[in-house]
Amino acid sequence: MIERWALISGLKGDLDTYELIQKDLKKTPGNITLFVLGDMIGPEKNCNKLLHRLINPKSNDLQPWCIYGWWEEQILLESGYRGNQRAEALRINKGEEVVKSLINAVDKSFLDWIAALQFGFVELDCGLIHGSSKDVGDDLTLDTPPLTLLDRLTRLQVNRLFTARSTQQFHLELTEGILNSEVHDLTGNHKKEQKVPQKAVIGVGAGKNYTLYDVGTDNTQFVRAGYQSEKKKNGFGLHF
Amino acid sequence: MNQAVISCLHANLPAVEAVLKDIELQGITNITCLGDLVGYGPQPNEVIELIKEKKIATCQGCWDEDVVDGLDACDCSYPSQIAERRGHFAHQWTTEKLTKENKDFLANLPYSIRKDKCLFVHGSPNSQHEYLLPDMDAFAALERVENAKAEILFCGHTHQPYIRELANGSIAVKVKNSGSKDIQKKEMNLPMRRIVNAGSVGEPRHGGTKATYVVYNDITNDVKIREVEYDIELTCKAIINAGLPPIFAWRLKNGFEFAERAEDASHVCER
Ligand SMILES: [Zn+2]
Ligand SMILES: [Zn+2]
Repeated sequence: MIERWALISGLKGDLDTYELIQKDLKKTPGNITLFVLGDMIGPEKNCNKLLHRLINPKSNDLQPWCIYGWWEEQILLESGYRGNQRAEALRINKGEEVVKSLINAVDKSFLDWIAALQFGFVELDCGLIHGSSKDVGDDLTLDTPPLTLLDRLTRLQVNRLFTARSTQQFHLELTEGILNSEVHDLTGNHKKEQKVPQKAVIGVGAGKNYTLYDVGTDNTQFVRAGYQSEKKKNGFGLHF
Repeated sequence: MNQAVISCLHANLPAVEAVLKDIELQGITNITCLGDLVGYGPQPNEVIELIKEKKIATCQGCWDEDVVDGLDACDCSYPSQIAERRGHFAHQWTTEKLTKENKDFLANLPYSIRKDKCLFVHGSPNSQHEYLLPDMDAFAALERVENAKAEILFCGHTHQPYIRELANGSIAVKVKNSGSKDIQKKEMNLPMRRIVNAGSVGEPRHGGTKATYVVYNDITNDVKIREVEYDIELTCKAIINAGLPPIFAWRLKNGFEFAERAEDASHVCER
């Protein structure tokens, strides 16, 4: 059977969307693994029901594999899980009200579960992470300089990096590259030519927009929850 | 005009004095220091005071930061537990020896210094603890210089002096699954950039025993690595008299050591 990954992110407490995605995935052929790349929580909605569902899946749910995202990092900071640091970046950018809303959106009993989440997964030669290996808030998009993308791939020693922070859906391949390096030290000169092996960065989307990845063929499909039939008509995933 | 860049003085006063003398003999007055004034060596206050007296522009090194902020570097900076214990002991010793005034001086050093197209840092633009080793992935190395918006990046921290030129680079990208039939492709040329590691004045790890530093000519763009002899015996005696681990003296005398070299060059401290 075809092995597929479903990559979702940015639910921000939206249980309805999560249920819609679960429903979609039941109809999707293949052996599916569901990865939730962070931002399960956010300040807009009460997140307790979604968190409860992620921790205690229904018997016919696909088991979700979760990592933490930028919003999880903010609540952990603000709740004292990161030493003396607090969610100052959030406070400065969005104001005290948003910090309060975030704290109120998540019951304290979930904090230990959130704190135990991993930063990312490495599966086969793929890295699955909210931002990047540099930072959970690293906002990688189609417009990020390729050199930066390459650096993030190199740091994790992977060939494909699935990222969610930008909320965009994209599949960017680094197809070729070359760089000459010449080092002069006390022992002499050392020349080397380095090539870029084929690598890719994939933006998985957020909320209703998620990504299906076909592990065998390296193909991505960008999906909008609840729009399965429309996708079939086009023969392509929807692009945003 | 020629300018000198020194790094990793590590409280080794005879080495610092010898290097400053060598710089003076060449008529160079523009000196930049990349930090690590203290750590391992026996004369932390003396070295700081000399740098202050000479008004040498200095950035904060990993040791300078840790002596002020407490040991934050993760254990992975050390290849073994013995090396880690020795490092922690030297840290403790230095913290106790430093005067309040000199600690304040270290605390207020900047992370980086920018002069036109040159950026001066201790480890890398990301962290005082990141090692830019000469064999680091070339694209990652170029990314450090590019991201810092510099043409030449001067760093230290590895204690191995080198000049690395990254040139004739290009990257091609393709947007797959773009929703339209024509797949977007683009190719871009990468700029030529250089990384210059100033080596170490007080704790050389390039295989020899001499102190190392670099001289950069900002008109011709030429960089030369200088090696300077100093009275190693004097420093070794001071290390033993101070009660610091004798291996610190041994490795200065033998000019070869791996004890505190990071094993994983690509590692970045998650702090
Ligand atoms: Zn050093
Ligand atoms: Zn250092």
